[in-house]
Amino acid sequence: MDERISIDERRSADPGRASAAGASAAGNTAGGASAAAGITAAGITAAGITAAGVSSRRPGRLKAYARFLAAAFAANAKSALEYRVNFLVQFFGMVLNNAAFAAFWAVLIGRTGSVGGYGFSDVMFIWALVSSSFGLAHVLAGNVRSIGRIVMEGGLDVYLLQPKDAFVNLLASRTVVSAWGDLAYGFIVLALLPGTDFGRVLLFCALMAPGAVIFAATFAAAESLTFFLGNAQAVSSALAEFMLSFSLYPEGVFGKNLRWLFYSLIPSGFVAFVPLRIYRAVDWALVPALWGVAALYAALAKTLFNAGLRRYESGNRMDARV
Amino acid sequence: MRSLSSRLRCSYLAALTALRERAAYAGNFGASMLTYGLFVFIFSRVWAGAYAGDALIAGYSLDMAVWYFIVAEISAFGFGRFFWGLSRDVKSGQVAYLLARPYDFVGYHYAERLGGSLAEVGFIALEGLVAGLILVGPLPAALVGGGAAAGIGRAAVVVFSLFLAGTLQFYLQFALALSAFWLEENDALYWIYQKFALVVGTLIPIEFLPEAAARLSLWTPFPYLSYAPARLFVAFSWDEAARLIGGQLAWIAVGMALARGTFALGSRRVALNGG
Repeated sequence: MDERISIDERRSADPGRASAAGASAAGNTAGGASAAAGITAAGITAAGITAAGVSSRRPGRLKAYARFLAAAFAANAKSALEYRVNFLVQFFGMVLNNAAFAAFWAVLIGRTGSVGGYGFSDVMFIWALVSSSFGLAHVLAGNVRSIGRIVMEGGLDVYLLQPKDAFVNLLASRTVVSAWGDLAYGFIVLALLPGTDFGRVLLFCALMAPGAVIFAATFAAAESLTFFLGNAQAVSSALAEFMLSFSLYPEGVFGKNLRWLFYSLIPSGFVAFVPLRIYRAVDWALVPALWGVAALYAALAKTLFNAGLRRYESGNRMDARV
Repeated sequence: MRSLSSRLRCSYLAALTALRERAAYAGNFGASMLTYGLFVFIFSRVWAGAYAGDALIAGYSLDMAVWYFIVAEISAFGFGRFFWGLSRDVKSGQVAYLLARPYDFVGYHYAERLGGSLAEVGFIALEGLVAGLILVGPLPAALVGGGAAAGIGRAAVVVFSLFLAGTLQFYLQFALALSAFWLEENDALYWIYQKFALVVGTLIPIEFLPEAAARLSLWTPFPYLSYAPARLFVAFSWDEAARLIGGQLAWIAVGMALARGTFALGSRRVALNGG
């Protein structure tokens, strides 16, 4: 069963922008490109709606984007729940998948006391946080690891021709069903950890959100390399695999030589290791800094996507989003 | 007799064709090899952290634990994905087309799927060997000690145990995949199977489990999927080899009966239409 879920963009169309149909026609004629030859991003610029064009303007009213994201989420959730059995299988399957590793850590730390400076609660916390952050990123931005494929298949046109920012629209137009299980797993583990109270749940949420942004931004940036490399699937898959894997194990076991990597290209430090230190110390003062880092990663990903978008050329593929 | 020889020839050709086809696109193994290499690296570091204050845990030294993981994951990576293709064939209806072919359905698929996976297993095993030599050092003395001939004999037993692990993986996953004849969504069954296999003998040797759990696990097929070849690789003894390989053969017999029984019952539910 296809887990990709499209949303109805028309529900949240911004009246201040050109309509998709109008933009399409303008793009084709102003750019001088025939439908058979395909539409280039530059061609559509004449209609004033390319992502590059949008990025050079203000991103739009925050309230409008909040409404748009809420509508996208609601439509995605509704579609996901339409296939209830599939949803439940994937939900509990992912919870079970994560729980298997909890059993591994319980056995290992039961024998050794700690690994790399982490006790069982610490390991469970990073599993909970990384799982929920990763899950949230894929629940809200389900296309984040499909950008490369969409670009290669010429599927971006449908987003370019719509009034919302192409990057945001593309990311938010799908949810990954199994990611709901990841999201829930973190809270299940958190509830089972000793000392969890309302304040710590709030802190967990405050750490989860920037983690989700960093996950999404890193994956989106890697996928955006497709604009430059033609096919960046290998790089993107490797980065996703490395980031997730390194984030789920104690920082101490990797030694100091790899540390720079965890705070730059593979930002496991910001989604797991630093949040653990904050959570241990209940240090709310550092939370805004983490949000700042997340904003920086998001800005870099958006910049890379927009830079790549200038090189985008579509084919004559026709898509309909209903 | 003639029927048996033609069956064997059919299986041989199916396995060889699948092996050649997979080996021709060796680049497709890149993702598996990358993930496998990453896992080996990470777990070598995790084990180094775990052994920081101990020379032995549950009878395993650090080197043994890393080599164990390297071999156990070969089975998990190389033979762990039969389910998806088989399950997809049933759900898509492709199975109706396959049923019409003049061969033993279960036997043919065993030869074809296992034969195809051997190419990937070969690449991963080679990668694991190189990674182990770099990360840990020489091969375990229990495997290669006592002269070249003895070492080769023991290595052959480990390879045979790995092959039996692949066979058992196939039959169990085949039975699970064919549950799609009754269940529209049977992925959860595979996930449960996979996670038990992971915890019982893949990520950690069963000696690490609490004693009661370790004893109980020996009555299940899970230790015979990864633990058997990995245990023989790091702590070879002929007594244990006989016990573990005997267990693998017994569970293969059970798995084969289960697979054939599931197929016999499930294939009655196929409705063929022209078109």
